[in-house]
Amino acid sequence: MKPKNVLVLTTLCILSVISIFISICMGPTSVPLAAILPFLPHEGTIDATAQMIVFDVRLPRILAAFLVGCGLAVAGAAMQGLFKNSMADPYIIGTSSGGALGAAIAIVIFGGLFLPVFAFIGATGATFLVYIVSTKKGRAPVETLLLSGIALSMFFSSILSFLMYNAGKSLHQIMFWLMGGFWNVGWPDVYTGVLILVGCVIIVAFSRDLNILSLGEDDAFSLGVNVEQLKKILLFLSAFIAGIAVSIAGAIGFIGLITPHIIRLIVGPDHRILIPTSFLAGGLFLLWADNLTRTFFNDMPVGIITAFVGAPFFMYLLRMRMKA
Amino acid sequence: MIDVSDLSVGYGAGAIIEHISLHAGKNLSVGIIGPNGSGKTTLLKAISNILEPYSGTVQIDGEDITSISARNLAQTMGVVPQETAISFDYSVSDIVMMGRHSYIGRFSSESPEDRRIAQAAMETCNITQFADRSVNEISGGERQRVIIARAIAQEPKILLLDEATSHLDINHQIEILNLIHNLEGVVKIGVYHDLNLAAQYCDHLILLNHGAICADGSPAEVLTAGNLKEHYSINAVVTINPVSKKPRITSFFECHDNCSSPKKIHIISGGGSGSELMHALCACGHSLSAGILATNDSDYAAAVSLEIPVIALPAFAPISKEKTEELKRAVHEADCVVLAGMPCGDDNLVNITLLSDLVDTPVYVLGKCSDFTTGGNLQTVFDTFQEGIVPVDTMQELFPYIDR
Repeated sequence: MKPKNVLVLTTLCILSVISIFISICMGPTSVPLAAILPFLPHEGTIDATAQMIVFDVRLPRILAAFLVGCGLAVAGAAMQGLFKNSMADPYIIGTSSGGALGAAIAIVIFGGLFLPVFAFIGATGATFLVYIVSTKKGRAPVETLLLSGIALSMFFSSILSFLMYNAGKSLHQIMFWLMGGFWNVGWPDVYTGVLILVGCVIIVAFSRDLNILSLGEDDAFSLGVNVEQLKKILLFLSAFIAGIAVSIAGAIGFIGLITPHIIRLIVGPDHRILIPTSFLAGGLFLLWADNLTRTFFNDMPVGIITAFVGAPFFMYLLRMRMKA
Repeated sequence: MIDVSDLSVGYGAGAIIEHISLHAGKNLSVGIIGPNGSGKTTLLKAISNILEPYSGTVQIDGEDITSISARNLAQTMGVVPQETAISFDYSVSDIVMMGRHSYIGRFSSESPEDRRIAQAAMETCNITQFADRSVNEISGGERQRVIIARAIAQEPKILLLDEATSHLDINHQIEILNLIHNLEGVVKIGVYHDLNLAAQYCDHLILLNHGAICADGSPAEVLTAGNLKEHYSINAVVTINPVSKKPRITSFFECHDNCSSPKKIHIISGGGSGSELMHALCACGHSLSAGILATNDSDYAAAVSLEIPVIALPAFAPISKEKTEELKRAVHEADCVVLAGMPCGDDNLVNITLLSDLVDTPVYVLGKCSDFTTGGNLQTVFDTFQEGIVPVDTMQELFPYIDR
């Protein structure tokens, strides 16, 4: 590994740890670290309320936000490699619209019961459907995957619009879910989020194959990559990760698109370094976006912040690249 | 080494190539040629197992290619595509190292051995100086050398080239083809656009057209004017490159076989004066004969490559009675005779004197005949002609007479 990349990875690790500790203190009421950590020297006794706020409310939310960010960024990097297109994101093959439809069905028909399960099934189901539609004789050309992903997204969006049109009072709830946020996150969500970690580790094991796949399928095949199998594994893992992320926090946009893109500018296109660094950077990005909203913006949906900050920054990067 | 037998393959609908069989042994360089759409690339894709055959097999050392894992196949066969678009900015050394992918386990990284082999491949292809540059910053020729280095790093026994140099300048083409040609112990199978390069670098050529093998053999056997006319619809002159002794294709004439009234024309020429005329008349669809020509005359080579019947005799041999009779028959059968201005001496004068008793067969003299006869009486010979001669200066002037 290049020394520069080791440095980037180490810096991101340190930043992540520091950020998690700072995040604990941030919020509508600020809690000094000393108040909750018994081993730190402090005055007086440990504040029980502060401890409750931190362990039952903030910590699960912080960890969930971090994990969801990690997952979206890694799935985004994998999809960009698979589609040889730096404009791809984990939602590109119908994941977000599938998840949204699942969530909307749960809200409208079951009053919000089992919402995360419905969202997960919707998100992964959409990807499977896209894959099945695009496959002929065991081969799924990436262009077909991309196009049928777009078509299916449109189709699901129209059903979603229909549901929203007829949703009545629960429209508000659907809207909130669509924008994405971490309001009701608890420890069970963090435990589910650990599955994201598992998915990401498996993707890392395929990072050298991803490097080669980004040269094109025929080239990859002649270099010894089992292309169709690899596509299947990557699509499944990416849909799995994005599905879990969506079920925890709703359809948060831009993290999966922009994080791998920025990281690629820093560490280069090699997925062996790109994926671990995107993992940390995605986590950091979403963690800080969530910190901002819960501290300063009265807990508005975090998806608003990610797109509001992410989109202009992305355009700035595009301009920079055009100049270079 | 590699055996293709009775292979039929296509892209889902009908077969693009049908019942193809070929064999390539160790150290051989095989070229696949043929007009666009003849199925060259399809054949190569089937050989590299990218396309699954409808029927028939491709075998490497007796093992069916479809039963070999992608990993093992990559260690046996390297592929150099026509052009590789690389979306991300990998460095040159990264790309070459990808050639080692099939040798590195999923959970391990490249060994010093892998690095040594990749380095050697870069040295072979002369790209070490841009090892750390991005592949998208270097020129097309340099990038193609990178792709070849990547294939060499696979340590393949078979190298497949799909018009690997067709986008490059001639200097890079030669450089890369030399490089590939000098790889030892590797079977090379390549699709070629440029017939001269194919002739120069291949030991064996396969001419494909409409998905079938039309000719199969050494470059000299495959690259004949007849094959080129039949399968590429061109009139080409095939000569032997004096340096490489390989066939060389030059002077392409458009084929317009729509000549309103094809004539039988006999051409008398010498010292290269008739070659261009033969090509031009042949291209118009006339049926020609030529002679008497010495076998070392370039007109003789032109006539042979255009598959024109020619009355020939060894260089510097005197014109025999037998040959004179043959010439007499040829000119009498012809609708007209064209004498392409040539140096005339006592030895070849018989070519001309023989024309004197022609009746109803016009004799056109294209350009000037230089007179080297004893006494310089060429003009007197022309004067004895029953019908006289029609002097013309250029071919453009000649054609209206012939079409008359």
